[in-house]
Amino acid sequence: MGTFIQLVVDGLSTGSVYAALALAIVLVNQATGLINFAQGGLAVLSGYVAYSCLQQGIPLLAAILLAVLASFVIGAAVERLLMRRFERGDPDTAIVVTIGLLTLVTGICGWIWSYNNLQFPSPFPLTSVDIFGAVVSVRSLGTTIAIVAIMLLLQLLFLRTKLGLALRAVADNPVSAAFSGLPVGRLLMIGWGLAAALGAIAGSLVAPQLTLTPGMLDNALVYALAAVILGGLNSPLGAVVAAWLIGVLENLAAVYVPFIGHDLKIAVPFILIFVILVVRPQGLSGRKVVARV
Amino acid sequence: MSTLSSLSRTRWFRLALVAAVAVLLVLAPLVLPVFANQTLVRIGVYAVAVLGLNIVMGYTGQVNLGQIFFVGLGAYVAAYGVTHDWNIVLVFVAACLLPGVVGLLVALAAARLGGLAIAMVTIALPIVGVPLAKRLSGLTGGSQGVSARFSGAPDWSGLYDDQWQYYILLLVTAASFLLARNLVRGKFGRALTAVRKNEAVAASIGVSPYLYKVLAFTVASVFGGASGFLYLVAVQYTSPETLSFGHSIALVAAMVVGGAGSIAGALIGGAYYVLVPQFTNTIDPNFTTISQGVVLLAVLFLLPGGLVSLPRVIRRLARRRTTRPPREDPPRTTSAWPEETERQAQS
Repeated sequence: MGTFIQLVVDGLSTGSVYAALALAIVLVNQATGLINFAQGGLAVLSGYVAYSCLQQGIPLLAAILLAVLASFVIGAAVERLLMRRFERGDPDTAIVVTIGLLTLVTGICGWIWSYNNLQFPSPFPLTSVDIFGAVVSVRSLGTTIAIVAIMLLLQLLFLRTKLGLALRAVADNPVSAAFSGLPVGRLLMIGWGLAAALGAIAGSLVAPQLTLTPGMLDNALVYALAAVILGGLNSPLGAVVAAWLIGVLENLAAVYVPFIGHDLKIAVPFILIFVILVVRPQGLSGRKVVARV
Repeated sequence: MSTLSSLSRTRWFRLALVAAVAVLLVLAPLVLPVFANQTLVRIGVYAVAVLGLNIVMGYTGQVNLGQIFFVGLGAYVAAYGVTHDWNIVLVFVAACLLPGVVGLLVALAAARLGGLAIAMVTIALPIVGVPLAKRLSGLTGGSQGVSARFSGAPDWSGLYDDQWQYYILLLVTAASFLLARNLVRGKFGRALTAVRKNEAVAASIGVSPYLYKVLAFTVASVFGGASGFLYLVAVQYTSPETLSFGHSIALVAAMVVGGAGSIAGALIGGAYYVLVPQFTNTIDPNFTTISQGVVLLAVLFLLPGGLVSLPRVIRRLARRRTTRPPREDPPRTTSAWPEETERQAQS
């Protein structure tokens, strides 16, 4: 029983990292109607920014904060200089643009900081606490709590603030939003900036565990996308719950299903998706979209 | 200039051009050095993979980030067949069919969602594929991979190995391109275009978007498998590294750089996939990934139709410079998928 609880708790903590990335994807999608495949790459970039700040002797929390701020600026700049030209066009082209961006960012990280694994310190102490017979590291606990807090803030932002309403309006119908006097361009920049900042938090939380490499979040991106498919693109809550579900299930499957094991557990979310797609094509909490000719 | 362009439109001129190119392609390996032949062979391998990707992405508008998975699967099936002494034709058929079946199964689930979700599901294929290939070591040789030496030239042909490989490749590649060309020009191709442009309209005129998305994905997987067979012919070895995530992204980039929705673009894409890393690696290996990203973004910005649209763009610029009134100008698009301004104007 102790093992089981241990696995569930560990699953929640890794699931939280996927959740942070999934939230960033949902945020960009809510603000622009796009899927940003470069989200993981941008998060890795901010991890490297934090790393460089550390090298300059800046304390860890301040370095992470600086990286988050820098990411907001980078995300907004990417929207303004790169994505804006493709936002009104074909969504498939825009996706390919984000793939190009992923390649470019990975290349830049590798070029500046090399492809070697770099050690990144954790903001949480390396101690652990005992919960129902399971040893839970403070790091896992801290990650999970941080993600829950961010998710709640995002829900509040989208549902309770004027900015959130404006962001949703721009995503839903940019032309009508512009007619209502909303500064569409600026709102899109804010949406991308917020998503990049969120990705930066994910990057800083996961970097101590995985060590910093340019491809560090490629797998996490896949999990995040799976979470987004399962949870529905328009629901921050759904994405987080799906990410946790995936984190827990893959941990359990790795131990209790011998064929899957540690290396194949990344297949678990996709087996889950295949099963769910057959039953609910719009995702667990997504709405069905009706098209008009 | 105008006489030249009108000449190029006549049927006989085109046929003569095709015949000349065909003769050139058949004779080339006999005079070229070994390295040039091997490079040409590798270009052909990836041109077929990009061709399949083009059918599902360029013509149907479904972003597929998992094409390399089917290339790798085809290569593994071919390697298995060769090491078990199957007939070579049987090996080829199996290397096409098995990826086709897997592609069909993936598409049946993925196409239930919109186009974006297909991208999200297919990104998983190479990422799951690599550990899977390592795990099934009984079939795949695990991390070491599996080598299958079979494409040596038989004695009666009097050819060197690289020339023999070239002719196998030429045969399969030419057949693939002919098949793809006929596919996209016929009823099937028109249905794919309808699905890409507007699924609701396609459904209302009796073209099932679901059916055609699944079909396009399956056809792409078959081409991927054929490409995998050719890969084994050329390299005679395959490992989990063959189907890595980075290669899959590079294939998408190659398709867009060559030209989405264009058969000739697939050939240019194959050449881009092979030649550009070869070139950048000689400068600085760290530079390769950056250059791929820069080229992809630059093409999307400056030449949305890909390199294949370059002559058209130059002709248009030249025409604008002269004072003649423009005639039948193709519509300007900001999409990698040409002729799509109406849809953009609506959305």
